Amino acid sequence: MARDRGELNREGFARYKDDVRKEGKPFFPYGLFHDTVMSLVVVGVIVALAIIWYVDADGTEAGILGPWYAPPAEPGTTEFIPRPDWYFYFLFYLLRIFKWPESVFIATVGIPTICLILLIGLPFYDRRRERHPLRRPVAMTAALLTVVAMGVLTWKGATAREALGSELVLAVPEWAERQGFADNAEAVRGAELFAQSGCMNCHVYLGEGNANLGAPDLSAIGETNDATYFVQYLTNPAAFGNNVMGSYAYLGEENLAALGEFLASSKGPAGD
Amino acid sequence: MATSKRASVVETAVLAPLDWIDERTGAVRGTKWFLFRNVPRDISWAQTLGSATLTAFIVQAVTGVILAMYYQPSTAIDPNTGKPVAYSSIEFITNDVTLGWLVRGMHRWGASVFVILLFLHMGRVFLFGSYRYPRELTWITGVLLLVTGMLMGFTGYLLPWDQTAYWATVVGINLNGTAPFLGPWLAEFLAGGPEIVSEALPKWYALHMLLIPGALIGLIVVHIYLVTRLGVTSPPWSSEMAGRERAASEPAAARTGLVRKSGGAS
Amino acid sequence: MQNPPGRDRTHVVDTNEGGAIESRAGSDLSDNGHDTTHLPGPSLWPIGFAIGIGCLLLGLVISLLVAAVGAIVAVVFGILWAREVTREVRGEVPEIEPETRSVADEPAAAPAPTAEEKPLPAYTRSKFLEASTIGLGAAIGAVVTVPVLGFAVLPPFTGVEEREVDLGPIENFPVGTYVIASYLSNPSQGEVSRRTAFVRNNGFTESGEPSFTILYSRCVHLGCPVQPNGPIDEQARKELEGGIELRPVLAQSFGCPCHGGLYDAEGNRQAGPPVRSMDRYSFSIKDGRLVLGELYAVGNVSGTGANAVITRYPWSVPGTHVDGPEAWLYPIVPSQVTG
Repeated sequence: MARDRGELNREGFARYKDDVRKEGKPFFPYGLFHDTVMSLVVVGVIVALAIIWYVDADGTEAGILGPWYAPPAEPGTTEFIPRPDWYFYFLFYLLRIFKWPESVFIATVGIPTICLILLIGLPFYDRRRERHPLRRPVAMTAALLTVVAMGVLTWKGATAREALGSELVLAVPEWAERQGFADNAEAVRGAELFAQSGCMNCHVYLGEGNANLGAPDLSAIGETNDATYFVQYLTNPAAFGNNVMGSYAYLGEENLAALGEFLASSKGPAGD
Repeated sequence: MATSKRASVVETAVLAPLDWIDERTGAVRGTKWFLFRNVPRDISWAQTLGSATLTAFIVQAVTGVILAMYYQPSTAIDPNTGKPVAYSSIEFITNDVTLGWLVRGMHRWGASVFVILLFLHMGRVFLFGSYRYPRELTWITGVLLLVTGMLMGFTGYLLPWDQTAYWATVVGINLNGTAPFLGPWLAEFLAGGPEIVSEALPKWYALHMLLIPGALIGLIVVHIYLVTRLGVTSPPWSSEMAGRERAASEPAAARTGLVRKSGGAS
Repeated sequence: MQNPPGRDRTHVVDTNEGGAIESRAGSDLSDNGHDTTHLPGPSLWPIGFAIGIGCLLLGLVISLLVAAVGAIVAVVFGILWAREVTREVRGEVPEIEPETRSVADEPAAAPAPTAEEKPLPAYTRSKFLEASTIGLGAAIGAVVTVPVLGFAVLPPFTGVEEREVDLGPIENFPVGTYVIASYLSNPSQGEVSRRTAFVRNNGFTESGEPSFTILYSRCVHLGCPVQPNGPIDEQARKELEGGIELRPVLAQSFGCPCHGGLYDAEGNRQAGPPVRSMDRYSFSIKDGRLVLGELYAVGNVSGTGANAVITRYPWSVPGTHVDGPEAWLYPIVPSQVTG
């Protein structure tokens, strides 16, 4: 068997042509029938999506498939949270993973380019003649990993939340409900300040926010101390031996008092 | 006998123009070559994803043409609505034009379906190992179709000129801007200046409905020609696989038997 | 691995109209008599020509002098190239018509004439016609391509004017607090040019100069709209003429809503992927009013407020490094943004 791959390839393709001519079925109608049914399904799905999207949403109010349109473009916004269309979520989340300045262009240009080259070059580096999936373990593993990675990245991208005021403030009523301070207006105002002032860039509260710089979860911090203590702590964390956290004295006494009240009211979710 | 005469007259009336055209263009022979070629006896639903993707593209093309009749790519403020003209035209299409919501909805969701089908079709080809000799170029044109398809989605996303559109495009442009050496130049070309200016919207509109679809259609033609010329592969686990290697003892008669049974195979 | 009976395994011919996929028995393309290659000889002139064109295009952006030099280089090398390509034609057969020459070239190609039919003289290769067809085609291509490319590509890089934005009296900016200022950077473009900056009045420097920190709101990772981390005082909101809006905010850090970028009060990166510190505006005080000047990129800020030491670079697209070893990836900055 000293024949080279090229020869085997050509023989294989000659056999293919021969078999198709002798044993095959005419494309019309045997193949095209399946194609037509599938196309009907595709068009049906598109129309159905369009109808569900239109019926369920109203203007800028999102339905199950999103709104008809977002508010008009506002190039000077400080509230909007940009997101791409769903099929770019994987890239969006990839950009969040590469969170070091030195690696930015690896995520933006490097990885997509490498993927594209690998994809285009596939027939040239995978040249075995074996086509059965179960006998191509490397290829199937790579494919499975790619699918899983894309799926996870897309899912993470779709569910990514920001530790930013404009998004977190929406969660305040839910916090008040779970912590049982909904009747305490001062604590609710403190919760809004807590959401807006960047606290949750480092602290986790009721499962939201980012844990950074070793900052503790504040969901049940009210069990430990009272409002006065928290106000003193926020004014000068260094006095309590905390040299990582900066002072929040710039918020002013009134705001600090509200924050202290909120923290003292955070005694852990009721019933949990 | 009269019916058969009428039948022959009808036949002539239909066939004569076809013959006339075929004599000058070869179109009928070409169509026959495409439609009445044989395909492997064991192909089935898995091999319909390519044509399904084509269908999704045709839906996009048709709905896109209709949307182009109403859409206005301008960032100026419409004095009647106080909103940008492009945004107002999208509102007009969705709310006022008869069935405009359906056409826009089909275009919008057709884009997602198109991209999903592109990936599914590519997955099928990968699973079946169909990118091997001699179909390497079919695979490459397919990958280029995937890229142009995603570019269609990316350029179309800006057109409604709403918040999501604008900021996704800002990020997309700056993504290109981080490419070494020429990236910043590409970013400024796409934005129409250091940052997005009013000229950017008609530019992206032209890219979305003229340049990129042109490339897409050209690639589709090449792709389908190659598929027709080289044939579709059988599932690799099929016992009736076209091009299978045969044991020496397998008698020729057994194989002609297969041919006789063919026809209603699927 | 065995030959099925009655099969020819070595010669593969597709019987369809599409033609043979693979013909192993030699291609018939080489049998038509055109067996001489007709590539022009190697020449270095096209390189010079290309450099000239490149200089010309670059010059249109940078300076007309470079463009003029590029044009001269392109013309000179173009002529030299054209001379070299056509040398053979001009030298060997300057006067004789191609058809006449062709017949003499290939006497063997013509079948022996019979008494009944006298064959027409056969066409053969004409280097002159080949060269001029290709040359004319290239000329048409250039005539169409250069203006189209120039029209499509150049405008973003030219005519970027210096523009100044007046943000109103400096009394509107309390010392030590950030104010979110939203304004039209180019009123003729309308709302599409609305931009936002975070302005902090630092009081005065040691030498008595007024000092402002003016951070541009676009993230230097990929341009998303950065948000100040703090409560906005909507009661103190001010609207000035010319579409300017001022909102004080109690913030000592800024967060990006896209990929997790976080900046401190001076615009330095605290966390996430931003490649440099937040962009800043230069400013001037005219008649007691704050006027924004040029936008510039910042490598790093040390110190705070009026005492900050800023490493300043020309503005560049977000995501491009201005300092450190990665900066060599982005050697040329196309154009500057102002206002």
